Amino acid sequence: MAYSELIKNFNRSRDYMRQFFVYGFKSREEYNAKSTRSYDDERRRIESWLGEYMQFRQSAEGKNVFISIDSRLSNHNPLYKGWKAKSFTDKDITLHFILFDILYDTEVSLSISEIIDRIEEKLSAFETPMEFDESTVRKKLKEYIAQGLIIPEKHGKTMYYRRSDNTMFCGTDCLDFFSEVAPCGVVGSYILDRVGNHKKHFAFKHHYITSAMDSEILYQIFDAIRQKRQITLNTINRRKETITENHVVPLKVFISVQNGRQHLLAYAPRFDRITSFRIDRVDSVVLGDICEDFDSLRDTLTNMQRHMWGVSTQGRSNERIEHIEFTVTYGDNEQHIHNRLLREKRCGTVERIDNNTSRFSADIYDSTEVIPWIRTFICRITDISFSNKDVEKQFKDDISAMYQLYGLEGGEQ
Amino acid sequence: MFFNEIYGAYYNAVSKILAKAVEKTVTPKDIRKIVEESAFGESSINIENSLFNEKWQLVTKNGDTPLENKPSLPLTTLEKRWLKAISLDPRVKLFGEDFSDLWDVEPLFAPDDICVFDKYADGDPYEDEKYINNFRLMLDAINRQYPVKLTTKNNKGEEKYIVFLPQYMEYSEKDDKFRVVGSGGRWATVVNMGRIIWCHPYVKPYTPNTNTKMVRDKETVVFQLTDERNALERALMHFAHFEKQAEKLADNRYKITVTYDKDDETELLIRVLSFGPMIKVTSPDSFINLIKERLIKQKSCGQ
Repeated sequence: MAYSELIKNFNRSRDYMRQFFVYGFKSREEYNAKSTRSYDDERRRIESWLGEYMQFRQSAEGKNVFISIDSRLSNHNPLYKGWKAKSFTDKDITLHFILFDILYDTEVSLSISEIIDRIEEKLSAFETPMEFDESTVRKKLKEYIAQGLIIPEKHGKTMYYRRSDNTMFCGTDCLDFFSEVAPCGVVGSYILDRVGNHKKHFAFKHHYITSAMDSEILYQIFDAIRQKRQITLNTINRRKETITENHVVPLKVFISVQNGRQHLLAYAPRFDRITSFRIDRVDSVVLGDICEDFDSLRDTLTNMQRHMWGVSTQGRSNERIEHIEFTVTYGDNEQHIHNRLLREKRCGTVERIDNNTSRFSADIYDSTEVIPWIRTFICRITDISFSNKDVEKQFKDDISAMYQLYGLEGGEQ
Repeated sequence: MFFNEIYGAYYNAVSKILAKAVEKTVTPKDIRKIVEESAFGESSINIENSLFNEKWQLVTKNGDTPLENKPSLPLTTLEKRWLKAISLDPRVKLFGEDFSDLWDVEPLFAPDDICVFDKYADGDPYEDEKYINNFRLMLDAINRQYPVKLTTKNNKGEEKYIVFLPQYMEYSEKDDKFRVVGSGGRWATVVNMGRIIWCHPYVKPYTPNTNTKMVRDKETVVFQLTDERNALERALMHFAHFEKQAEKLADNRYKITVTYDKDDETELLIRVLSFGPMIKVTSPDSFINLIKERLIKQKSCGQ
């Protein structure tokens, strides 16, 4: 098929965009899952969408393509562009603009035959006018009714159609902000496109933009949650390159603002457990039946959150709950360290032992999740203890390995 | 429904072309200019050809259109549902928008459907009337470019009086805080919105100092990553918001280069430490020394 910068299905581009943006060290030959032609097409397409952000580097393995974006400098997520590349037919676009020109006013309500007459009238301006039969127009109207753009009204036996009167009413500052920070923000970006050029007054720090690529999956998950429905989640295991089918009850979406990942916390009847699924690994979502136990399952999850540091609901030890505590020391002019503990803890308690010492302790499902945070206090940890002794050993071994890495315990300088 | 051509860059560009064409004849040059602003790198030729060759029967060969009105589209159900969802977010109060028209719309998601589990606990007070008023004044000053006087508390808790010209707001999802970045004062100024005690328009004659716009000093750190315990993916995701490059050195070893703002060095330092022995900083020496200092101090803590 001839190359086009527009696409029918987003999934393949989603995968390539993620590879270019998150990883960006693979050469053309390493994208072996697909043909080189499809790689070339995807690379060219993404370059067409994101030209200014695409970069290339020559390595021994060949040319590497990667996307590099300092998201602090972008008012809007550039990755949204991929969502604006849906293909269409010549007839689709012609009919779209003519139809909404005919139904320009919300007062205008026309039957299908009147609409077809008006279309023919408009197209008579062209040398070889396109022809639209009744079923094509009816199908398009049906599509627009489902999208909320057209309202059908029955008068007697005849159906009339008019445009919906949902007008744009939200200011651009509000849209600029929420299109970046709210889930499915690309929808705000769709609205902003209609507004056109305007001054942008927001910048974003610590802004993770990768989840934009999972917007449709997230939308489907929200749709299921709102309807309290079970779903079938098809998840991809990238290492094994397999797809697993999971039948679950979706309960809540957990979003990280420290790495940009989004997880679905869902009840998996097969294991009788609430567990997490990475949304960037979901390939597709199929809605199922309504789950009568949705409310009580969600209550269970809410109660569990007291013991969740991140998204894990089960540690690696045999204990259901693992205990962790550590003590930090700080100088008289470093009182902000105590505040850091208070501000950054996600569960557990912080105790001030004296003017220069504080202790954090928590009972959580999986103590491995807290380790990266504890390491941020390196240089002031005076005491640490885990009920899961394997985790404690790992933590202490890692600290020793860091000393070695920087030549502080013999070894290299 | 979600991935649909009506939201696409081509439809958007054509809508702008037609808006022009209903007023006057459009030329290929007009079309190219609009497409360059609204669509993709290779769209120009496609759109121009499709319109002028009458593949899309919206503009005739001589650049006129049979359309009578500037194209417009109502909000779709998806857009309304998303707007309804943001209308339930506490931060929406800052903008003073009226969403009452959406009273019968089902939100795309509700606050209870989401948990942002790792944002800091001392975020700005979005429900506080004084904070809301300060925010709206600052946004108005940014919009209309007038100077503002304010008092704020600095890190040491001391009160500072500032007059400056607000330029833009910066929001951090991790900190859950707004900062306003301004110019025209004695220095480039960043003010935490949550620390403002009071603020008002500055109505006296105002001459902004020149050369006080925010310029961020960039630094680069290079580290070697050992891909154990899924460290590669975790690190690349974690540092994804920076300008960065990753190169493969050997089977499980990678070189990662991250460009960051000098002001955020301490934050980056502790973020690098959070990866433990999976990351070894290889340059610059000044950054390596910062790591070493912390490790030496840690050794003295006896752990």
